[in-house]
Amino acid sequence: MSDYWPWWAGAIGLALVTINYTLTTDRSFGVSAAWDRVLHWRAERRIERLEDQFTDQRALAEALTAATQQFDDRPVAPASHPPARSDAPASGQQIGQPAVGSAPVASHRPAPLVTQAALLLSILVGGWIAAVTSGRFELRADMGQGFREIVTGNPTTMIGVLFLGGVLVGFGTRLAGGCSSGHGLSGCGRLRPVSLLATAVFFGTAVLVSLLLWKVI
Amino acid sequence: MRTRGAVLIANIITGLALGYTVSNIGFGDYAELNRMFTFQDLRMFFAFAGAVGIIVVVFAFLRVRRTPGRIHAGVVPGAVMFGSGWAISGGCPAIPIVQVSSGYLPAFATIGGVMAGIWLCRWGNARFFHLDRGSCGL
Repeated sequence: MSDYWPWWAGAIGLALVTINYTLTTDRSFGVSAAWDRVLHWRAERRIERLEDQFTDQRALAEALTAATQQFDDRPVAPASHPPARSDAPASGQQIGQPAVGSAPVASHRPAPLVTQAALLLSILVGGWIAAVTSGRFELRADMGQGFREIVTGNPTTMIGVLFLGGVLVGFGTRLAGGCSSGHGLSGCGRLRPVSLLATAVFFGTAVLVSLLLWKVI
Repeated sequence: MRTRGAVLIANIITGLALGYTVSNIGFGDYAELNRMFTFQDLRMFFAFAGAVGIIVVVFAFLRVRRTPGRIHAGVVPGAVMFGSGWAISGGCPAIPIVQVSSGYLPAFATIGGVMAGIWLCRWGNARFFHLDRGSCGL
């Protein structure tokens, strides 16, 4: 009998994390996107500065428009929309999507870069608190008996396999546009077809590969 | 409550809660993960599926906006790669962090691989694929 949470407690925990994040920030939540932005912080920082600059200019234009309307009741053309992020296809950032339904006002800009770095660091701290308080924390040079029996017990091969697996995870999640939190929780929670497809495929593939590792290899 | 400071606080709370929850469910434990993927123990699968079910109901009740996701050419191959990597290394992008925080030092190799893969994907997409992949993590 493991000392992990029962399924219903885990379900409530994961759901609360996702719902709370969505309602407080009006953004979808995804760890692979946070990794992507933090890793490319120079480019992301440059984009943030450009967007901040544009926001200031737009605020100025809107203030001038409002001031003009006080003296002239004629209709005035609205301020222009911000330009699309020039690296959108390359970075995988999705902005300016129209809201469907009558929901809270959508935030069109991605979460600030520093908040994404804070998310990753907080996961580390949260995991450490859980490990220490449950008595599971133990510094070790292997990945546990399960990994040793199912994958490999050789330390060098283990590092190579973990790195290769990590490359597949990193490349795959960004190519698919999300991971188990972004597509799996946030996206499936919104019943987005792309997230339902991605989740079915990555879960299905993980099942097949795990069965291969367990039964065949 | 959408200021930069509010989003920062929300991210910190979310990260702490996610790390705590994922660790206590057992996603950082390779043996538990393999038991889920091989249907020997469906506890973690029910935790994930149950979470999705709760989120669907709550989002529908609160009428949370549904962003229109587009199925593009990178979804299926990307998901296949991700699923393979998850089964082999035991880590989706958040889990290696939790594994390190639980004391599994080799998980640093997984984190290094994740970083290399993300970098390679952006580099490769800019030069070869040119896919507008979208992202659900904003």
